[in-house]
Amino acid sequence: MSEVVNVQGVQKKFGKFQALHDVTFTVEKGEVVGFIGPNGSGKSTTIRVLLGIIKRDAGIAEIFGKDVWKESLDIHNRISYVPGDVVLWGNLTGGEIIDLFIKLHGSGDKEKRDYLIKRFELDPKKKAKSYSKGNRQKVGLIAALSVDSDLYIFDEPTSGLDPLMEQVFQEEVEKIKAAGKSILLSSHILSEVERLADKIVIIRQGEIVEAGNLNELRHLTRSTITLVTEGDVAELATITGVHDLVEKDNQATFSADNEHLNDILLKATQLGVKKFEAVPPTLADLFMRHYES
Amino acid sequence: MKEKFARWELLLFQYVKRDWKKMIVWIVALGFFSAGFIPAFQEIAKGQGAIGMYETLQNPAMISMVGPTPVETAINYTLGAMYAHEMLLFCGLFAMIISVLHVIGHTRKEEDLGLTELVRSFQVGRQANSLAVMMEVLFINVILSLFIAVMLISFDAPTITVTGSFIFGASIGIAGMIGAVIALVLAQVMPNSSSSTGSTLGIIGLLYIIRAGTDVSNDALSIFNPLGWTYLTYPFTSNDWLPLVYALIFCMVMVVVAFILEGARDMGAGYIPQREGRATAKKSLLSVRGLFMKINQGTIISWFCAFVIMGAAYGSIYGDMQKFLESNDLMKQMFSSTGISMEASFTSTIMMVMISLVAILPIVIVNKLFVEESRLYLSQIFATKVSRSQLYWTTIGLAVLTSIVGVLLAAGGLGGTAIMVMGENSGLSLSDFIIAGYNLLPTVLFVTGLAALVLGWMPKLGKFVYLYLIYSFMLNYFEGILDLPKWFSKTAIQNWPAQMPMEDFDGTVFITVTMVSIIFMIIGYLGYSRRDMIEGA
Repeated sequence: MSEVVNVQGVQKKFGKFQALHDVTFTVEKGEVVGFIGPNGSGKSTTIRVLLGIIKRDAGIAEIFGKDVWKESLDIHNRISYVPGDVVLWGNLTGGEIIDLFIKLHGSGDKEKRDYLIKRFELDPKKKAKSYSKGNRQKVGLIAALSVDSDLYIFDEPTSGLDPLMEQVFQEEVEKIKAAGKSILLSSHILSEVERLADKIVIIRQGEIVEAGNLNELRHLTRSTITLVTEGDVAELATITGVHDLVEKDNQATFSADNEHLNDILLKATQLGVKKFEAVPPTLADLFMRHYES
Repeated sequence: MKEKFARWELLLFQYVKRDWKKMIVWIVALGFFSAGFIPAFQEIAKGQGAIGMYETLQNPAMISMVGPTPVETAINYTLGAMYAHEMLLFCGLFAMIISVLHVIGHTRKEEDLGLTELVRSFQVGRQANSLAVMMEVLFINVILSLFIAVMLISFDAPTITVTGSFIFGASIGIAGMIGAVIALVLAQVMPNSSSSTGSTLGIIGLLYIIRAGTDVSNDALSIFNPLGWTYLTYPFTSNDWLPLVYALIFCMVMVVVAFILEGARDMGAGYIPQREGRATAKKSLLSVRGLFMKINQGTIISWFCAFVIMGAAYGSIYGDMQKFLESNDLMKQMFSSTGISMEASFTSTIMMVMISLVAILPIVIVNKLFVEESRLYLSQIFATKVSRSQLYWTTIGLAVLTSIVGVLLAAGGLGGTAIMVMGENSGLSLSDFIIAGYNLLPTVLFVTGLAALVLGWMPKLGKFVYLYLIYSFMLNYFEGILDLPKWFSKTAIQNWPAQMPMEDFDGTVFITVTMVSIIFMIIGYLGYSRRDMIEGA
């Protein structure tokens, strides 16, 4: 039983609106899964189903092999969660709220808490109503990272954080990843997932449209190649596997199918290569390809 | 000058455009509240009513609440004297509080929200906003004063003179301005908007208590109190303009002080540093119960105070109740239960009013759980091992507990004051009051149960529980006047229990209503434990 999260064909309707059509994915033990989709695609709904906050209409949803609705309390003992929008009681201080969350979770570590407060540069003595969005997010993150869990669920965790704090977050997540914990990282910010995730699950309009390891997914797409040659670059246009060619003087920029790379390069060497650049597809490209259709 | 106040008139124009609806409601509602009760007072003053009221209001407890009157003998206690005596201080207080909230809302609050920053980036003077807000409030309060004066005159009632009416209106308007300038000063001093509001209201409360003391002991001292400059004008009797002059001077001085303070501080900063909170939580907070206590604490304390004050207010009427009730036809009809002492009859009605008031608090608490849910406060807590049953039953437990304490405070406040003012003539003991109060506890539990039921199954309809309470209250209150069919009046829950101390205790109804309430709570729980949490709705 190495599956920490197992979701099979989950559906959810709100009134007439079908929020989740068919959500299927897994998170293995020790794996970081990036859960990608634009706003309103069903990421948060899926997470709420997993937390037992809302009840699915159909399908299987298990964490640690337990049903997320019926055995939610057993599950909650071993997970940490940070919502995308951390809302705090204005008349309590950040420190008080962190302590409360740690206590309600059960297994807290005082030293870890103080260490994280320092790392994230949070002033715990301030009332929560005076916190900015980023500071509220920090409170949520510190509370979640201070406790010992087997599964961490982060819903757009770095929204509102500045790049330095985002870096701190990434490092802390790498630590828990190194400790063999599983992480479900939902985001529409691609770069934050790209760095950490072993596996990507893409959701669109309540349906999983792509799932797999980042390298596998990259095979599906094209690299972007920039060439400067001595000969006429226009000749490249005739080769199969070259798409969207843009010429400028002797420079060509195009996207190339990975399986035809060899043919393309053979042709290019005949023209006399002066400069060569290849950029692997970013998640943005992946993403765009899925949303174009 | 340009650097300071440039384009204030533009900001004023914007405020009027933004606020015109609020201004109309403010002026009309407060105007009606201040001037509209003349017919009701004419009714009260009929026969021996005015004399009875005069006697009642000589009671120190009453003076400490409504203030003194310059009238020396009951015969001179005219309609105008009575109206100004009973209405002016409270209406002035309302005008003050609304102005305070408005001024801070447009100054410090906008600063906290970051709106000021945006406005300041244009060619707008550093203090133009404060000036614009003060001008707006001045405008509103002047219109309000005139509105009240004209309305009072329009009743064409005896002793409601034109001069008196204008002084009455001006006193309320100036009360608003006093509140506004105090608020403007504290908006500069305090570190943020909520502490500005809190400290301003605190100061007004303090002034009110100080004047209660000086009014009872030596009312010459009340003239040194800014709050005194409102009701010490004594409209319709002495018609004294002088306190208004003091108040005007006070306002001007305070505005200058506020501008100096504002000119010398940074935007977003105050003179009193932000108070540091606790870096770690107290043990008492670290549980669902502790958290719910904490987030409801302010509400609970203020409602508890309201129960005691309302109880004391009604209780203080007992002294001269007989005289008062007998001179008033409307009241007489409401309390005309033959063969039963007026006190007992009055108590049973007032107790119903008090306990209906008590019932608001548990509804607030139960509805709060849904507010917390829908505003995402609980998101992170749902993901812990805290169960829904813990969240639900902690809330219900807190609601029931506050009901029990609330009944004690309301009935105790009523009974304690009543017995104090009646002295040896009292036909009722404190325990009669307390028992009569707890006799109605099931009605409180019933609406709590109703709120719980709604929370479990149709949480978005939480507000309707208040509507039921109002409906039920109105039905009960006017039952004696309108001759309603029995089944219809029984739709009001307050009509089920015995009307103690007038009637004997009815154990069957007490237990049945309590059981029904508990069943509601359990059914509510079944819904709550099963339904989707509604986040962000």
